[in-house]
Amino acid sequence: MPWPTTRRLIGTRVQRLDGIEKSTGRAKYSYDINRPRMLYARIYRSPRAHATIKSIDTSAAEKVPGFRAFYIIKKAGAEVFFAGDEIIAVCADTEEHAEDCVRAIRVDFNDLPHYVKEADSLNSTTNTTGGAGTNNIVAAGDFNTDNFDTAFNGLAATHEATYGIAVISHQCLEPHGLVAEWDEKQQNLTVWSSTQAVPKTAEDLRQRFKMKPGEVKCLTNYMGGGYGSKFGSSAYDINDAVAAELARTTRQPVKLLLDRAEEVTVGGIRPSAFGTVKIGGTKEGRIQAYEVNCYGTGGVNRGPTVNFGLLPYVYGPAIPNIKRLHRVVRTNIQTARAMRAPGHPQNAILTELAIDDLAARLNINPMTMRLANLPPNDAADAKANPRTFPGQRATIYRTEIEIIRKMCDWDRAWHPPGADKGIIKTGMGMALHTWGGGGRGANPTRVTINQNGAVVAQSSTQDLGTAQRTVMAIIVAEILGLQPTDVTIIIGDSSHGPSTPSGGSTTCPGTSPAILKAAETARDAFLANLAAALNTQPAMLSIEPGVVVNRANNNARIPFRQACSMLTVANVRGDADWPTAKELQSNDKLREEWTTRLSNQGVGGVQIAEVKVDTETGVVKCTRFWAVQDCGMIINKLGCESQVAGGVIMGLNYALYEECIYDRATGRQVNADMEFYKLGGIADMPNIYVHMHDMPERGVIGIGEPPTIGTAAAVGNAIFNALGVRVPNAPYTPERVLAALANRRAGNP
Amino acid sequence: MNEQDTSGGTSRREFLQATGAVVATTAVTGLAVTELPAAEVQPGTGTATGIGPAATKISLNVNGREVPATIEPRVTLLDALRNYLDVTGCKRVCDRGTCGACTVMLDGKVVYSCTMLAIEAQGKAIRTAESLYNEGKADAVPTAFVRADAQQCGFCTPGFVVAMKAVFEANAQPTPAQVEKGLQGNICRCGTYEQMRDAIYALCNQKRGN
Repeated sequence: MPWPTTRRLIGTRVQRLDGIEKSTGRAKYSYDINRPRMLYARIYRSPRAHATIKSIDTSAAEKVPGFRAFYIIKKAGAEVFFAGDEIIAVCADTEEHAEDCVRAIRVDFNDLPHYVKEADSLNSTTNTTGGAGTNNIVAAGDFNTDNFDTAFNGLAATHEATYGIAVISHQCLEPHGLVAEWDEKQQNLTVWSSTQAVPKTAEDLRQRFKMKPGEVKCLTNYMGGGYGSKFGSSAYDINDAVAAELARTTRQPVKLLLDRAEEVTVGGIRPSAFGTVKIGGTKEGRIQAYEVNCYGTGGVNRGPTVNFGLLPYVYGPAIPNIKRLHRVVRTNIQTARAMRAPGHPQNAILTELAIDDLAARLNINPMTMRLANLPPNDAADAKANPRTFPGQRATIYRTEIEIIRKMCDWDRAWHPPGADKGIIKTGMGMALHTWGGGGRGANPTRVTINQNGAVVAQSSTQDLGTAQRTVMAIIVAEILGLQPTDVTIIIGDSSHGPSTPSGGSTTCPGTSPAILKAAETARDAFLANLAAALNTQPAMLSIEPGVVVNRANNNARIPFRQACSMLTVANVRGDADWPTAKELQSNDKLREEWTTRLSNQGVGGVQIAEVKVDTETGVVKCTRFWAVQDCGMIINKLGCESQVAGGVIMGLNYALYEECIYDRATGRQVNADMEFYKLGGIADMPNIYVHMHDMPERGVIGIGEPPTIGTAAAVGNAIFNALGVRVPNAPYTPERVLAALANRRAGNP
Repeated sequence: MNEQDTSGGTSRREFLQATGAVVATTAVTGLAVTELPAAEVQPGTGTATGIGPAATKISLNVNGREVPATIEPRVTLLDALRNYLDVTGCKRVCDRGTCGACTVMLDGKVVYSCTMLAIEAQGKAIRTAESLYNEGKADAVPTAFVRADAQQCGFCTPGFVVAMKAVFEANAQPTPAQVEKGLQGNICRCGTYEQMRDAIYALCNQKRGN
């Protein structure tokens, strides 16, 4: 069952099926669920960055009108490790009263030392974050290739500089949280949760309350952004459990969704990355040595997503000599969570910026420099299976660079760093990136064709805004000769079996093959039943757009709906899922089909930014942006283009605006809001030119992460190109631009 | 309650005076719901009867329907719509007048419904994104958002749609730049501005060049 070789819908631009519901405000997100007799919960959080709880006094809170119940998260004597740490939850009849209750709670603390700045934690002499060790440093590791000590000898140029990017917040517009409701017998629990993992959210709760399979149901029809921060309940995300406990205690539905300050303070951060990079190359621009000494924080716990081991990013296979020393420091801020291509944007900063600085020393055009250092096609890999990424990565990058070179007229538009005269200087910069984006099962999918003509596809997967519903409808419609709007999609309901969490660009490749197979199985069952009704053989029937063609009867064309009415049963179904992990491992043919033809992993991508920098005010404006991106076989070109432009805009925010700022004295975040935590509006964003490099022969690969990776690095390089001066740390704020210019005027390197 | 009777709105100063005046009486009367006819909430008379902090009955005109609600005077228009009237197209995101997700039209003008008290909105025509879908048909503005795919998670979208609709209601033939200016008070996290520009040009019947 390969993908159809001629594709009527797949790869075209299809509008999202639920677009009107969303744009007219009728789509009900978890935050919008209002249940009869519903209570509102809020959480009292530690205002201290590190302390032990001396006492908790709830007596005044209990007297607040509308008070219903508490749920104690941490007791007196317990330690809190960051400002925002949960201590006690309360629910009341209205949200206003729940807030009154929180304000009436009195907690006394014994303060302990804290560190909220990475550089401070790097020099810490005490462990303020719990866990192992005598300080806050986690030795994440070091690596070097053989004989690195002599790697820089005899090179045409070397460059050493520092680069970095701050801790940022996911800032999901729909906050974390849920509505929880028990049935009358307190036996079944339903939650409407804002989650990237519908079945996992239900399963986590089932285990917590020791319930039987099927007794917890999670519903997520619409989801207001996650970006990696919403993978169900865990040690870092206690909301699900709190709401369900309070709903059980009070025997009423409970709504718990975080307010904006909470969302920013505890709803997820991305680790920072700062480092000194030394890079050297030949006069032809071939990089011979890359040395990095870097650190970053993943918050109070180590955080799973720093990924410094990938340095030097993208170009590693082309660079013979590499040395890496990276340390992760714990700080008294919330624990980092996965965020859109974990570690990759930071690694792009620590690699791409150094490459442009070296290119400038060598007087080489940065595009030429990159072409000279592409990771080579892996010959063995290419021979074993030409559809995998390592076997063709250099070819993909070269093709994409050629496309973008023409799109942005690079040869004419690019100038040497600092060559632009005048007060407002224009510059262009580029960056490459890579991501995996492969999916797996279990993603059981069912396609049902009903006698009344209704076609339904269902799975428990979720649509985070990726247009997953539309992806499913396109595939089913392609196989059944229908239009996507003819297919009813039912998703976001854990009672429809397992599905993989939506993270790491895995949903489209993880679900699409199962959808294809379910649609084909349903089609075959449909034609088999129809053949019996028409007194012919299934092989005599075929599907064309809108009709079933009967070759046994002069190619009679039976309209699809009419054919459905001829079914001798109420409906026919196709059920399909991925082979098991064991089957994939042991069966070469199955593995090749599912992981390198139906779906695949590994993408490239190249981006170019054009900026204007005002050297008097320090303001950077990105004026135009180009992105060329592959993701294997494109299902919905419209959705892909949106994802790429959206990824670029998120990357522009990383580059120019976003930073969590923590106060050293109190340990609290000072911009846990949207006024001082900056996100760009429409006026701040350039026109973005997207080209999708379709590679249908590779099968489906995810698109969520890749387009946001290289953006900030491309902007950083464009600023360098405009000024001829490197601004070391992102976000590239006016203050930092002016400081870099002043530093240069003062004669510093 | 007389639906014809429209309050002229309550200034912040008058509101504070009114609530201050009533604190003393609350202690005596407890927190029972007090019903106040809208006619008694007369701004600027200096003899305000005062309402709150207890919940009070109010009436809001939402998407053409007069709907009653019993709320405390401190409840914002946004929270009244979402928590008390189940009108959830307006979203609560920043809750501080920054992001525009809560944008509604009030007598045709866009306002951040999180920065206004519900009691102030009495007697005014409140329109949310839901008003742009009637009898199975969506208005041209939300339709243009869908055609251009100018939404991803969609949580900010109703606010943008209302802001854009207000531009077209004030000026039937705006330039794309004028429409874009009308969206500058809104923030999208998924990054759909590029597609919004496509929607704007389509609505202005203009071809988008480089």
